[in-house]
Amino acid sequence: MNPDIIDGFTQATLASTLAATAVGCLLGLVVGMIPGLTISTGIIIVLPLTFVLPPDISIALLLGLYVSGMTGGSFSAILLNIPGTPSASATALDGYPMAARGDAGHALGLAITASFIGGLFSFLCLFLIAPLLADLALKFQSPDLFSLVFFGLTIICSFAARSLIKGLLSALIGLMILTIGQDPMMGTARFTFGQVNLIAGVHFLTALIGLFAIPQLVDNLSAAVRDGQGGTSRARIRRILPTLNDLKSIRLPVAIGAPIGAFLGILPGAGGPIAAFISYDYAKKLSRSPERFGDGAPEGIAAPEAANNAVTGGALIPMMTLGIPGDPVTAILIGALLVHGLAPGPLLFLERGDFAYGIIFSFFWANIFNVIIAFLGLRYLVKVLAMPKSLLMPIIAILCVIGSYALRNNFFDVYVMFGFGLLGLAMRWLDMPVVPLLLALVLGRPLEEHLRVSLVASKGEIDIFFTSPFSLFFLAMAGLSIFWSLNAERRAKKAARNEMESKQ
Amino acid sequence: MKTMRKRNLISAAILIAIGIGYAVLAVQLPTRNIENATGPSFFPLVVVTGFLILAAALLVQAMRGRANLGAVPVLAKISRRTYIWSLAAAVLYLVALPYLGFIAANIPLFAALMILYGEKRTVWIAAGSIGICLAIFFVFREVFQIQLPAGILGGLV
Repeated sequence: MNPDIIDGFTQATLASTLAATAVGCLLGLVVGMIPGLTISTGIIIVLPLTFVLPPDISIALLLGLYVSGMTGGSFSAILLNIPGTPSASATALDGYPMAARGDAGHALGLAITASFIGGLFSFLCLFLIAPLLADLALKFQSPDLFSLVFFGLTIICSFAARSLIKGLLSALIGLMILTIGQDPMMGTARFTFGQVNLIAGVHFLTALIGLFAIPQLVDNLSAAVRDGQGGTSRARIRRILPTLNDLKSIRLPVAIGAPIGAFLGILPGAGGPIAAFISYDYAKKLSRSPERFGDGAPEGIAAPEAANNAVTGGALIPMMTLGIPGDPVTAILIGALLVHGLAPGPLLFLERGDFAYGIIFSFFWANIFNVIIAFLGLRYLVKVLAMPKSLLMPIIAILCVIGSYALRNNFFDVYVMFGFGLLGLAMRWLDMPVVPLLLALVLGRPLEEHLRVSLVASKGEIDIFFTSPFSLFFLAMAGLSIFWSLNAERRAKKAARNEMESKQ
Repeated sequence: MKTMRKRNLISAAILIAIGIGYAVLAVQLPTRNIENATGPSFFPLVVVTGFLILAAALLVQAMRGRANLGAVPVLAKISRRTYIWSLAAAVLYLVALPYLGFIAANIPLFAALMILYGEKRTVWIAAGSIGICLAIFFVFREVFQIQLPAGILGGLV
C-alpha cells in the first residue's frame, strides 16, 4: 500500500485533528441551519483561527464545517420551510410538508441519513479519482494548464450567471483586480499608485469576506425589519432514526443523488443547488408514485440531500488535483492552504502525499462526525434557530473585521474588505454574480503565468494552444460551455417572452 | 423590466469608462525589452480588451432591451435613510478603528448594529456590546494568539 495513504490516515486520525473535525461539524450544522448564514459565512467566521492553527488542523476544521453545513441547511428547510443554505432549497419541497403533518423527526432523520450516504460516496470518488487525476495532471504543460484554467473560468461563468455576458464581466473584473500588485514574471509594480500596501496585491480572502459577508449583513437587515427576530419551529421532533423500511424506500433516490452530486461537484461552478434540483427531478421521474412528490415523500428529501452532500467530495477533486476551486468554499480551502505555504495541485500528491491523503481522510471523518453529531444533538441544535439576529449579525460583522485584519495584521485590508462589500452590493444591484469574480482572483495568477510562459516557449505563436491535445480538449470544452450557456440563455428569454405574451 | 434596462445602461457606461481608464494605465506601464518575453502590460491589455468588448455588448443589449431576464434584484427592503446612516456609521468606524483600537471602536459599532437589527432593550444592548466585544478581543488575544491593537485602551488591557 502507498505509504502516503497510511501517513495520511494517521494524520487525520490524531486526536487534535479529529477534535478539529468534530468542532467544524458542530459549527457547520449550526451555521447551515441558520437562515441567512451560508457555509461561506461560517468559514469566514473561523477564518482567523486557520491563520494560527497548523494546516492539517485548519483544513480538518474547514472540512467539517463544509460537510455539516450542507446537512444543517436541511434542518431549517424541513422545520421552517426556509432553506438554511441554497443547496437545501430542494429539500424543503418535501421536507416541510412531512414536518407539517407531524413527522419532523422522520424527515430530519432521512435527510441526515441521505447526507451521510452521499458524503461517503463522494469520499470514495475523492479517494479513488483524485490520485489518478493528479497523476494525469502531472503530464500537463503550460499551454494545457492555461487552457484548463480558462475552461474552469468559462464554466463557472456559464453556471453562475443568468446572463453569460454578466458572468464573464464579473470574471474579468476579478482578473483586472488581480493585476494590482507585482507582475508575476518580472516583478514590476502594476496599478499600485505608489501605495505600499498594494504591492502584494489584493488578498482574495479579504475580497471574499467583503463580497459575501457585507451583502449578507444587508440582506439580514431587511429580513430583521420584515420578520422580526429569529425563527422558531413548532414542529415536534419524535423518532429520528430511520427504520429499515425507510432505508429501503430511499435506496433509489440516494443512488441517483449521490453520483449526480459527485459529478456536478467536480464541475467548477455547478454546486449544490443545481445538483439537488437535478437529483430531485430525476428521483421524481423514476419514482413509481411521482404524484407523492411535493406532499412529503421520503424520496423527495433523500435525493437532494444525498446530492448536495456528494457535491462536497466532488468539489474537492479539482481543488486538490488541479488547484481549481469549484465554489467559494473550496476557494477558501485553497486560500487556507496557501497561507501555510501549501499549493494545491498535482504536485501536492507528489511532494506532500501524506498531507494530501490527510485531507481526504479528514473528509471521511467529517462525514462520520456529521452523522453522529446530527443524530445525537439534533434536539438541542434546532434550538439555535431561535437565536436572535440582533446578536448574531453584529458578531459576524466584528469577526469579518478581525478576519480581514488578522490576515496580514494590516488595517488596509479592513478597508479593502469594506470596498469589496460595496462592490458586492453594486454587483447584486446589477444582477451580476460575484462567484466568477472571486474565483478569477484565485485562478487569475496561474492563468497569467501559464499564458505568458507558453507564449515565451512558442516565441509568441498562439498555435501552441491548439497543437497540444490536452489544451485543444480544454479549449473545445470552454467553447462548448459558452455555447451551451448562450443557448440556455436564449431559451430562457424565449420562454419569458412567451409567458409575457400569454399574459397579455 | 424598464428598471433593469436602465441599470444595465448605466452599468455598461460605467464599465466602459472604467475599462478605458484601466487601458490607459495599462499602456503606461513600464516595458522591458527582453526577447520573446511578454511585458507587464500584456495580460492587463488582454483582459481589458475582453472587458471592453463585453461591456459594449451589454450596452448594445440594454439599448435593444434584450438584457432583461427575470426579476429586478432588490438590495434590501430598508429605507434610504437607514442606508445612508449605516454607510456613514461604517465609514466613521473604519476611520476611527486604527486610533481607538478593537475594543473602543467595536463596542459602539456592536451596539449600533444591535439596534439596527431590532434590539430595543437598553440593558441587553449595553451588556451585549461590552461583554461580547471584550470576550472576542480576549479570546483572540489569549487563546488564538492573534494580537489585535487595543488603541486608546492599550494601557488598560
